[in-house]
Formats: sequence, structure tokens, C-alpha cells
Amino acid sequence: MRARRGELDAYEEIVRLHQTIAFRTAWVITRSAADAEEAAQDGFVKAHAALARFREGSPFRPWLLAIVANEARNRVRGSGRHVRLAQRVAEERRPDDAVPSPEAALLDSEQREELLAAIDRLPEPAREAIACRYLLDLSEEETAAALDCPPGTVKSRLSRGLDRLRLELGEAEA
Amino acid sequence: MSDLEQRLTQLRRELDWPETPDLATGVRTRLGDATKPAAAARRSARRGGVRHLLPPAGLRRSLALALVALLVLAGGVFAAVPGVRDAVLDFFGLQGATVERRAELPAAPEFRPLRLGSRTTLEQARGSLGFEPLVPRAAGRPAAVFVKDDVSGGELSLAYRAGPGLPEAASTKLGLLVGEFRGDLHPEYLGKIVSQATSTERMRINGARAVWIEGAPHLFFYRPPDSDFAETELRLAQNVLLLEHGNLLVRLEGAFSRERAVELAGSLR
Repeated sequence: MRARRGELDAYEEIVRLHQTIAFRTAWVITRSAADAEEAAQDGFVKAHAALARFREGSPFRPWLLAIVANEARNRVRGSGRHVRLAQRVAEERRPDDAVPSPEAALLDSEQREELLAAIDRLPEPAREAIACRYLLDLSEEETAAALDCPPGTVKSRLSRGLDRLRLELGEAEA
Repeated sequence: MSDLEQRLTQLRRELDWPETPDLATGVRTRLGDATKPAAAARRSARRGGVRHLLPPAGLRRSLALALVALLVLAGGVFAAVPGVRDAVLDFFGLQGATVERRAELPAAPEFRPLRLGSRTTLEQARGSLGFEPLVPRAAGRPAAVFVKDDVSGGELSLAYRAGPGLPEAASTKLGLLVGEFRGDLHPEYLGKIVSQATSTERMRINGARAVWIEGAPHLFFYRPPDSDFAETELRLAQNVLLLEHGNLLVRLEGAFSRERAVELAGSLR
């Protein structure tokens, strides 16, 4: 791997390839674009420093996402913040990316809001598992790496999360 | 795949994710700097590079304020700013800002886009600004960070959403807006025009000179170097604390109280 030999051009290409999924993974955890950007960037820098420890032949993305997600969790722990996913989605939608404003666009689908709100009400482990697996489209292995837990735990969190969502949405429709 | 899982998959496609920033460039810069000490040295030299060409900071400030005062009294500086022609009732300044009181405020829109510059992160701002950014720890982490390079050393803006202890200000739609720039390099960059109904209090916070402006909304504008004053846009501002912090001029704007402003200023690190 050229990047492991210290070729910055090669590592820059790797960052470009993975920056969207890394940023979104951090965003799912921090619920803040600014924090997610910092977490993802710090994650990439730390991953570069740790490239020598990366096992050649093993998948790179789960390894990277584990580092980025850890950075993101550190920021959430530091801030003590908990903001709803649906609210954060609306707040982050700024057409000119100028400043946050109360006029930020609202989610335009009631059904989507209902589903997002139901995800928000899930306990954190299930919520993050659902977000990583379905909203980020991570594999179970990648979800496990990002959430720093065994794949079996991801399966059970997903199962509990889906059951809870069905219950919530069923009650809402009743 | 169950119906719920299909809906979740559909949600993924419909979600408006925040735009992914250009991480690659920032990472490359950080890694490049880490492996090239000379680059950091060059950046450091650039930051302080103009200082040896200028008089000492205190003298620069005195000279600039004296010049601005003379021009104000002569009606020269503001003659190009539409509507700003009334007699000056009072005038004083900090390192980086001037405040003048007038009988009447010129007309200005209630809300004007803030034009804070390019969105960035604190980490990246540290690499691009000619000073170490200060964050009011009492307000936590900013929701957004912006930099502008209209002046040497750059200008930093920190935006905080409204929340407990930070009520939304009509002038910014934010809970707190922090602005920072090198006041020693630009002694007259920021201008304030207050009316007779606006209260101004000169104070010291941890020994540093400060001005608290409260009450009736007042106007503020920038005097970018090498720019025509006629292009300067006036904007209404709410309560504002101006503070000299080392070689920086820090500006805190919001709908908060004087006590809260002092607390925020005292927590700048």
C-alpha cells in the first residue's frame, strides 16, 4: 500500500474515497455537522498515524470507521449534548450553508418525520445500530466496528430496534 | 426485507444529509505540516511577518484612532456611507473598534445576511488564521465556524444556536455570534454607531478593556482595508460586548444580559 510507505498523494485519495461515509458516520453519532467534520478529520489523521498497525488484506473501511466513530463519541461525551435526529436533520439543511436559522427547511414528509421521530425515541444503542445499518447502509461488520461491539450484539440491537419501531409506528397509526 | 426495513432504506435515499466537507484537503494539509516543520515555520513567519514593518502596536492604535477621530469630526470618513452624516456626539475606541454616538441612526434593514465567510472547523481555522482562536467555554462548542480573509490575520466567527442562557437575537437569528480579528493590525476595522437611546458602558474584564453596548439596536459596519467605504453595508446589531483580548478584538453579539456577556467573555480560552 503506497499510503503506508508515506505517500501523501495516495492517502489523500483514500480520504476522498471514504470521506462521505466517515463524515456521515460521525454525524449520526454527534448530530452536528461541525463536530462530525472535526471528528472525521481527526479520525483520518489518526488512521494515517496507525497505518503501520493495519493488517494488510483485511477490509479498510470498518477499521477506519471504528477510529472515526471513536472520535465522534469522544466529542459527544465532552459536550453532554443530546439532540434529536429529526430536529438535527432540519437544522443542518441550510441551502447557502451560511448560518443556522430558524427558517431552515422542515422535513417535507409527515411519514418521514414520523419514522425519524420514532428512531429518535429508541434507546441509544438500538438507535445507532439502526442509523448505521439502514441510514448509512453499513454492513453488519462495519456497524459493529463503528459501534465498537461484536457483530452478534449488532444483530440483537437491530432486532430490538426494529421491534420497537414497529410497536411505535403501530401505536401511532392506531 | 420487511416493509419497515424497506421504509428505512427509502428514508436513507430521502434524507438530506449535511454536505460532506472537503476533508481530504484538510487532512493532507495537516499531514503535510506534520511532516514538514519548515511549512509551519513559514506559516508562523507569515502570521507575524508584517509586524516588523509597522510601528509598535500601542503607537499604531493611537495613530489610527487619532486619524479616525479627525476624519469623523471632519465628516470625512462616513460621508461615503449613505445616511451617516449627522453630528458626532461622542467618540471613543478600542484596539480594533471605534464607537461613536449620533443624534439619529441612519436607516438600515432589520436583518441582513451575516456574510461571515467560508464555513470551516476550529481545527482548520487554527491553521489558517494569524492568531489562536478563542472560544467562550461558558457557551460550549460553536454550532458553526467561519473564517474570512478580508483582513490580514483573518477574521473568525463562531455561531451558536439559541438555547438556555442564549436567547435568539433578532439581528442574527442566533443565540451568540462571536467575532475575532487582529485588532492590533486593524485598529479601526470595526465601526459602531449608537444612538442616544443606546447605553454604552466602558468596563474591564480580567483587566482587559471592554465596552458593553445595550438597549436600542445600534449599527455596525466594517472598514475593510483597500476598500471603498461606500461599499460598506450597515447592519443592525443587538446587545454587544467589545473586548480587547491580547492582540485581538473580540465581539460578542446576542440578546443576553450584561452579566451573561461578562461571563462569556471571562470564559474565552
